[in-house]
Amino acid sequence: MSAGEPLLEARNLVKEFTTNTGGVLSGKKRAFRAVDDVSFAVGRARTVAVVGESGSGKSTTARMVARLMPADGGSVLLDGEDVTHGTGAALKHFRSQVQVVFQDPFSSLNPRHTVDRIITAPLDYQGMGVPGGKRQLVKGLMERVGLNPDHSGRYPSQFSGGQAQRIGIARALAVKPKLLICDEAVSALDVSVQAQVINLFKSLQAEDGYSIIFIAHDLAVVRQIAHDVVVMNRGAVVESGTRDEIFDNPTQPYTRSLLAAIPTINPEWEARRRVNEQRERAALT
Amino acid sequence: MNRTESKARDDGGALLEVRGLTVTFGTPRGDVDVVRDLSFTVDRRQTLGIVGESGSGKSMTSLAVMGLLPKGATASGSIRLDGVEILGKSDAALRKLRGNSMAMVFQDPLSSLNPYYTVGLQITEAYRAHHNVSRKAARAVAIEALDRVRIKDPHLRIDHYPHQFSGGMRQRIMIAIALCCEPDLVIADEPTTALDVTVQAQILELMADLQAETGTGMIFITHDLAVVSQVAQDVVVMNGGVQVEAGSTEQIFSAPQHDYTRALLAAIPRLDDDLEELKMVGDFRTGATR
Ligand SMILES: Nc1ncnc2c1ncn2[C@@H]1O[C@H](COP(=O)(O)OP(=O)(O)O)[C@@H](O)[C@H]1O
Ligand SMILES: Nc1ncnc2c1ncn2[C@@H]1O[C@H](COP(=O)(O)OP(=O)(O)O)[C@@H](O)[C@H]1O
Ligand SMILES: [Mg+2]
Ligand SMILES: [Mg+2]
Repeated sequence: MSAGEPLLEARNLVKEFTTNTGGVLSGKKRAFRAVDDVSFAVGRARTVAVVGESGSGKSTTARMVARLMPADGGSVLLDGEDVTHGTGAALKHFRSQVQVVFQDPFSSLNPRHTVDRIITAPLDYQGMGVPGGKRQLVKGLMERVGLNPDHSGRYPSQFSGGQAQRIGIARALAVKPKLLICDEAVSALDVSVQAQVINLFKSLQAEDGYSIIFIAHDLAVVRQIAHDVVVMNRGAVVESGTRDEIFDNPTQPYTRSLLAAIPTINPEWEARRRVNEQRERAALT
Repeated sequence: MNRTESKARDDGGALLEVRGLTVTFGTPRGDVDVVRDLSFTVDRRQTLGIVGESGSGKSMTSLAVMGLLPKGATASGSIRLDGVEILGKSDAALRKLRGNSMAMVFQDPLSSLNPYYTVGLQITEAYRAHHNVSRKAARAVAIEALDRVRIKDPHLRIDHYPHQFSGGMRQRIMIAIALCCEPDLVIADEPTTALDVTVQAQILELMADLQAETGTGMIFITHDLAVVSQVAQDVVVMNGGVQVEAGSTEQIFSAPQHDYTRALLAAIPRLDDDLEELKMVGDFRTGATR
């Protein structure tokens, strides 16, 4: 990971849920560790991807880091400061630095509020003043995420899935956070839209320097955006490292099996397609 | 289940022939075609892939073939199954074809399975809808169906409820139900989209094995170009309800003719490409957002 103190550290995080064993009616309860001693660090202006199959504990980890769910063990450090249990002003300050973008843009946007109001809600919660005025800020943010600023009076249902996800991103960026936590933020989007949103995250990160925790189950997507990768399985970290370490030299069989299962297009066809397209481009010039 | 002769006459004609299929929704603001003038054929033992982004009309196409379009939608054109026109057939006639001659596998097995019935009951009901046999005989068929989709201990698992199975297992059960009457045509609409990649790989392998065993014709619908490239011999690329391009899988993937297909192919993140910016289908900063 990057040199210097990391922006965020998750140390030995634990989450237990109680489950009913042997069916709903038996009444037998058992504690089950959804997240079991998970540690990782997020460098400044870096993107750490957390990958793993469904149920591996990615979202639960993200929720604990985002202070949306209390941890049963371990701690979260932001800028070297323990933020695991802070309340009141401390929690408010934390929320101005850490913002979350969820998978389903529509269910995370209030359908009865205009884009204007949605984007400025975190600012209102923070009681932040806006130099230049809110209207200007909303327009600026909408432009940055690739939305038409003239649509700020519209409601979420008037946008497509990809556009709604941009609204969620604009809202997260309004408070100028240091860390964005994206939980499957591009998973529900079509590939073309997915490519746009990934490029958007990257270009905005280059401009603003925020860090990202990028949670995803699609490793090909992760490879496009991550600097570092944490692989989870059954609540635990299987292995972690830089993107190239994980993708080029995975040490764990579990990581290898995940990589091997990704469907790919016949490389011969891919090569022929590239040659064909190059030839056509050459013929045009 | 010993596979007997195909119900369809294998006379060299196409198993399914769709010509000029148009699906129209009546809305307060007038009629909207969500599928327009679509034509394709599916042969026995062959898988036709239909690929496109969300909203491109893939599901409406499959529902039209199955005679399961939602209220408010009408289909026109021609859909011939084994040479016989089925578009416009009565509900009763279509019900007889469904399950028996053509069957469907959906994306989400949990919402297609009834949580209150054992999987055994759900398979036997599907079977008994088309076969006049005793419960006991149907149970034997169901056990064999579970065995065929490689579920271990089928004689025990048959009495379990859907929630007692993992997502991948549930999709195996849906496949068992679809195949229990040995249909000639199976339509799989995003059958692996909700599954983890490792499970997806297992289900795709299972479907290929079963197709080789039974000789079923298949329509495999997906938004995932890599998946379609692995399972299909022929591909139809759809966008906005119309066919953009169609051809053999090799043709589509090695020499796509249409800009839309090319843009889609360029937008997929790969494990081996160089990591410049992903190519975009339309530049969002110029307003072409979706
Ligand atoms: N609120 C909850 N109550 C009980 N179990 C939960 C709860 N949230 C998640 N789980 C369980 O914890 C495990 C990890 O879930 P999650 O963190 O959502 O995984 P992922 O995001 O990797 O798919 C799963 O087995 C899930 O069923
Ligand atoms: N009940 C409905 N009324 C009007 N339009 C509908 C209805 N259901 C679906 N559609 C539209 O039909 C189009 C095709 O949908 P669908 O076949 O489900 O797409 P796909 O399966 O390719 O994602 C979409 O634009 C969708 O909005
Ligand atoms: Mg999750
Ligand atoms: Mg669909």
